[in-house]
Amino acid sequence: MRNLNLRVGRVLRASTRGFTIGCAVMQPDIPAFGSFVRADGTAPRSAIYGLIYDVSVEDDPFVRQFISANPPEEVVRDQRENRQVPIEVSVLAVGCADGEHIRHCLPAQPPVTLDWLYQCDEAEVRAFTARFDYFRLVLEAREAPADELLAASLRFAAAARPEEERERFLIGAGRELSRLLSGDPLRLEGLLRRLRNP
Amino acid sequence: MTLELSKLTDQVQAMGKELAARRHKYEQMVQLARRWLEQYADRGEQLRQPAYAVRAAIPTTEPLNFQGPLPPAPDRFTIIAADGSQIQPDRHGAILYYLINIGSLVYRHGSGEAPLAQSEPILGYAEEELYEDGLLLSGNLLDLRRDIAELTRLAELCTSESHRPVVALVDGTLLLWVLEERSEEWQRSQVMRYLDQLQRIQESGAVIAAFASRPRRSEVSRLLHLASVDGDAQRALREPNPLEHLPDRAIFETLPPGARSALFVSPALINHNFYRPLGQTVHFFYLNLAVAEERPVIARIEVPAWVAARADQLALVQAAIVAQARITGDYPYALARADELAFISAPEREALEEMITTSLMRTGIVVTPSPKAYYKTLTRSGRRRYGR
Repeated sequence: MRNLNLRVGRVLRASTRGFTIGCAVMQPDIPAFGSFVRADGTAPRSAIYGLIYDVSVEDDPFVRQFISANPPEEVVRDQRENRQVPIEVSVLAVGCADGEHIRHCLPAQPPVTLDWLYQCDEAEVRAFTARFDYFRLVLEAREAPADELLAASLRFAAAARPEEERERFLIGAGRELSRLLSGDPLRLEGLLRRLRNP
Repeated sequence: MTLELSKLTDQVQAMGKELAARRHKYEQMVQLARRWLEQYADRGEQLRQPAYAVRAAIPTTEPLNFQGPLPPAPDRFTIIAADGSQIQPDRHGAILYYLINIGSLVYRHGSGEAPLAQSEPILGYAEEELYEDGLLLSGNLLDLRRDIAELTRLAELCTSESHRPVVALVDGTLLLWVLEERSEEWQRSQVMRYLDQLQRIQESGAVIAAFASRPRRSEVSRLLHLASVDGDAQRALREPNPLEHLPDRAIFETLPPGARSALFVSPALINHNFYRPLGQTVHFFYLNLAVAEERPVIARIEVPAWVAARADQLALVQAAIVAQARITGDYPYALARADELAFISAPEREALEEMITTSLMRTGIVVTPSPKAYYKTLTRSGRRRYGR
């Protein structure tokens, strides 16, 4: 069941490797770096999963006008709460679903412009991270800070599980990373350190 | 590039020289106009009748050189601004539709609350929406529809606003521009729709004003020329006006900070024919928005007769607009935000087109732009030149 309260924003531009969405300032639920998100796929009941790897606030000349002035409280609140200051959230595509099954691969088609992007709830995060095949997509991503992103996503995935399962989950993830990065011990060490010390 | 800037060098230099020469003449015109403003300050009554004949500003009971100092603003008041923008129907586009987007901001001064910001898009695609009397609703016809939608939105917001007093604000003018080649009956029907909304605002207890930034109208200049020929309309029409094309705002740059000029009545035909019989005659004054020791910033403010007739309402409009404009420096904050909320950017337009196309594809309808539109997208999307 999709929770509309967890909408992040609408898709601005997209490719099969990832997409960018726009959202309003001060939206309380803007997901953090490493969060799992989902957009509707083009086929009915399909979905595309991704990880947020960048949140940027675009330049805004209108706000600049008030930097050195002393604007009334109404203006400050308008700028913070109402302005459609372009905040762009970049998402790395890491999987898709056809209604039932989740696959860790790039989607066949990107989401459509202006479609909503939703933050995944805990059940979805647990379902998506039941396997670790998406690690390779993240580790090979050039546009995102891959190691930081993977570590952050694993912390979210662990937090979505009951406390008694978290350690087992992280040990499993560490084992998979050891296998994938066996030829690059320095990178592996750095990643494992990030997992241990957020 | 097709525009070869190198070929414009001489013309741009000549333009600069011409403007410099015109500047000197302009300053002389301003001096003359200000002298006449003082000289004929008390001739308002004498000029009222002939002014209409020469389309000059029609004086009220205030002396022409009247200066109304900035009144104190109430501790709390509400400004409601609305503005609109539109996407014209494109005969060469994949689908024929229009879009009107109305942005509005309800700003409660002194409340410390975040203003209420809204935008309301209206998509027109059905046959009865796209055509009026067999004409495609585009260009001026769509502008007219947008103006009415703006005022309708303002009327709705004024009616529901509980924080009083309320000043409603539109950008530009309260005088609806209607196609003069259309029948009088058609013009009347359009204006009546607009005036109905003005009346709703009046009945809501709010006041309304239109704000024109850097106005170019020369109605007071024309009035001063009329005064200089003893109010003889025939002479004023016949003899060259030494103040020709001098914008009124230049005359009023001597207004003290926050002060307003005298009130005048707009000589527009539509004002006389349609607004006046319904008690909505549009009056106007000029207002200096600048703070002390800053260069004057003159705006033209229009108000309907029922606002102009009450000193307290006129004072509220003056104080509220100055307070709003001083937030940004020279333009009402609420209007700037309403414009922003209404604005449809090129990427948004593209996104809407994509949304419509995708929606149609999902229903099995495939649409394509005309060949002309298709090739425009190719030739206008940036070019590379190979070789020389």
